[in-house]
Amino acid sequence: MSTTTYTLPVGPLHVALEEPMYFDIQVEGETVRAVELAAGHVHRGMEALAMQRNYFQNVTLTERVCSLCSNSHPATYCMAVENICGLVVPERAKYLRVVADEVKRIASHLFNVGIMAHLTGFDSLFLHAMEVREIMQDAKEGVYGNRMNLGQCIIGGCRRDIDESTGPFLLGQLELLKPQLDELYGVFERDPLIRTRTQGIGVLSHEEAKRHAVVGPVARASGVAYDLRRKAPYAVYPDLDFEVQTDTKGDVHSRALLRLREAVQSVKIIEQCLRQIPGGPICVREIPVIPPGEAVARSEAPRGEVFYYLRSDGTDTPQRLKWRVPTYMNWEALQVMMASCQVADIALIVNSIDPCISCTER
Amino acid sequence: MNELAKNSIDQAVSQILGMEPLRWTTDVYGNAFGWVRLHDPKDLLLVAPPLAALGARLMTASAYRNDKFGRAEGHEIAYHFDLDGVVVTVSACLSESPPTVPSITPWFKNADWNEREFAELYGIVLEGHPNLRRLFLDKSLDAAILDRLVPLSTMMNGASTSTLWEKVFTGKPLPAWTKGENN
Repeated sequence: MSTTTYTLPVGPLHVALEEPMYFDIQVEGETVRAVELAAGHVHRGMEALAMQRNYFQNVTLTERVCSLCSNSHPATYCMAVENICGLVVPERAKYLRVVADEVKRIASHLFNVGIMAHLTGFDSLFLHAMEVREIMQDAKEGVYGNRMNLGQCIIGGCRRDIDESTGPFLLGQLELLKPQLDELYGVFERDPLIRTRTQGIGVLSHEEAKRHAVVGPVARASGVAYDLRRKAPYAVYPDLDFEVQTDTKGDVHSRALLRLREAVQSVKIIEQCLRQIPGGPICVREIPVIPPGEAVARSEAPRGEVFYYLRSDGTDTPQRLKWRVPTYMNWEALQVMMASCQVADIALIVNSIDPCISCTER
Repeated sequence: MNELAKNSIDQAVSQILGMEPLRWTTDVYGNAFGWVRLHDPKDLLLVAPPLAALGARLMTASAYRNDKFGRAEGHEIAYHFDLDGVVVTVSACLSESPPTVPSITPWFKNADWNEREFAELYGIVLEGHPNLRRLFLDKSLDAAILDRLVPLSTMMNGASTSTLWEKVFTGKPLPAWTKGENN
């Protein structure tokens, strides 16, 4: 019997999503023995661009880092600018920022679990998940005028208010969404096909999750109860009632279910926000003076912690703007998750970290 | 704010760096941010082990030039750690030429990608890194690409053809400069 190993090139295109990442995979028969990653296929040099644009232009630029967490980037960037110049955002704007973040989180999580269904070959469930997601896409279009980039965040507040017409519309969409989300959760939880393909696959233990410093749903599904909305609260999260979702199984199935539970929590958060939101201005009218200095800001994006470091030399463009996205660390943890997995499960495992390559490479 | 985490960072860092104080700031939400400055990058080898022992997580490392346009030499790297919601940023000044810094991968596994990224973008030399391959940039590109000022005109000349000028100068001889001969 031969024990030859083969090198199986996977990618750079069409691994889970249509984004390029190249995997050099050593296989023995159908079993994966080693994984090497090669990145850099869509490096856009955005950090270099950010140093050539002024603080206001960078709000627009950072919104284009990633489509699925396109609100988290400008929101965190604005938080970093506000930290550096001591700008206090009006209370109403903080609520509006949370609403935008959570709307995006629901849509992003639904997209990811939908793709998971597609990768298991359960395409009718994929279409159904995308249809449910469409409720949130319509909500975004109705409230913000756009289905992906909301353009909601500006330095010192928000651009667009939620008024007596868009508020009830958003609540109505959530009412439509709630029963659908429950039903979807039931299918993902109990369907024998989904369970067979995803349970016990791509396991990341608690120790490995810690060692690789993974964040977001990937970390929380492995028992690392780290959610910035609770650990380092920002905006109005301290005033909101929601539960951080965790699990201990750390497999593909538990990560998907955790995302769906988070979407349910996000619905709860938006409803509370719309109930509690105070009146008042939605942004600071003054143009802030940005002094020399440095600041860090973080927020919990759909995929986990988004980190921004801003360094100012007192001019109108940043001396350095650096950001790190949640997927950045999660890639390397794939080497653990894919150890001894079957070739057929590679795409499922890759998708379970909800990879974002345009984010990673910037 | 997590006082316990803040105090343990304070204790660990001040023990190593002597009496030099750790500067703390807070944001409007009361989250704590610690700032430490190392004058010798080798001190990273002293700071990293106790932070790792505390269970801190490396969030990322941000390298930058002291002067954005390179009018003054020198680089710095800011390492950002998180301990249960408290952020501490350790900045190291790299005064050597070429800029050199020890790797902290023995204590923080995820430093691997972060270090490779700043090495290729700024031409920073890493000591003791286990896997010094290019991360994002192709091997054929020069290192320290983020240190270089590439004028837009140079970039565009490299990427465009003379079609535009052939139309502009229809019926006339093309001036030499339109052929990109003196770029």
